[in-house]
Amino acid sequence: MDSLHAIGFYVSSGVSVIGGLGVALLPGRELRGVSLAISGIGLAAVYVALGAGFAGAVALVCYLGCAVMVAGPRYRVMETVVGGPWRQVGAIGAGGLLAVLGFAAFRGSFAQGKPAGDGFALADIGRLLFAHDALATEAVAALVLVSVAGALAVWRGRERAR
Amino acid sequence: MTPTLITVLFVGAGLTAVGVFVVAWRRDASAALAGIPLILGGAGVAFVGVARFAAAGTPHLLGQEVAVLLAVAATALVALGLGIAGREQSR
Repeated sequence: MDSLHAIGFYVSSGVSVIGGLGVALLPGRELRGVSLAISGIGLAAVYVALGAGFAGAVALVCYLGCAVMVAGPRYRVMETVVGGPWRQVGAIGAGGLLAVLGFAAFRGSFAQGKPAGDGFALADIGRLLFAHDALATEAVAALVLVSVAGALAVWRGRERAR
Repeated sequence: MTPTLITVLFVGAGLTAVGVFVVAWRRDASAALAGIPLILGGAGVAFVGVARFAAAGTPHLLGQEVAVLLAVAATALVALGLGIAGREQSR
């Protein structure tokens, strides 16, 4: 990995994590959607820096779609009934976990691996997705079908109820 | 400073921790759903990194394949969750 890729990796990692923090801390669904889009762009750049260009392209499209859904005005805010303070304690615990991970990465001595070759390799990925691991692809496709059909069904039910 | 496997794993763990933080911090469930793509994105970064820096025997495209599947699954889960959240609100 040359220095340009290394700089791109570190910058895009920071963009992705900062965008994620914006999703947590910024007020308003529009700002949260923009933050999620920024995080998705950073994540796609991380994939590209690691030589996974196809995954980066797919992640970019998917995360921009998620950002549009999160920022859109077509849903209402739903307050959860249970677990107010405990959720906040869990959030502080997640922050503590991040600090522990940072300390472990700073102090630990880990094995150094050598990177494999770069490449978009669409044909090889397609062979993996649709031939070697077709069951996993079918499972995700079924999940997408159920999600889209379920989302449409609940939205139609909601519109009828109005 | 060239990124290594531990750097990639640290980035993936950080993204997952930020996603958990989003889910735990936001009080309304509709906003907490935005943490799911971050959690799965962190897992995808870990998969891509391990497959890329693996010593031998593992095809490096396997992690890319899992990352693609995770991104698609995250989008589907957000769509379904927002639909259910909207329905719960209308009751």
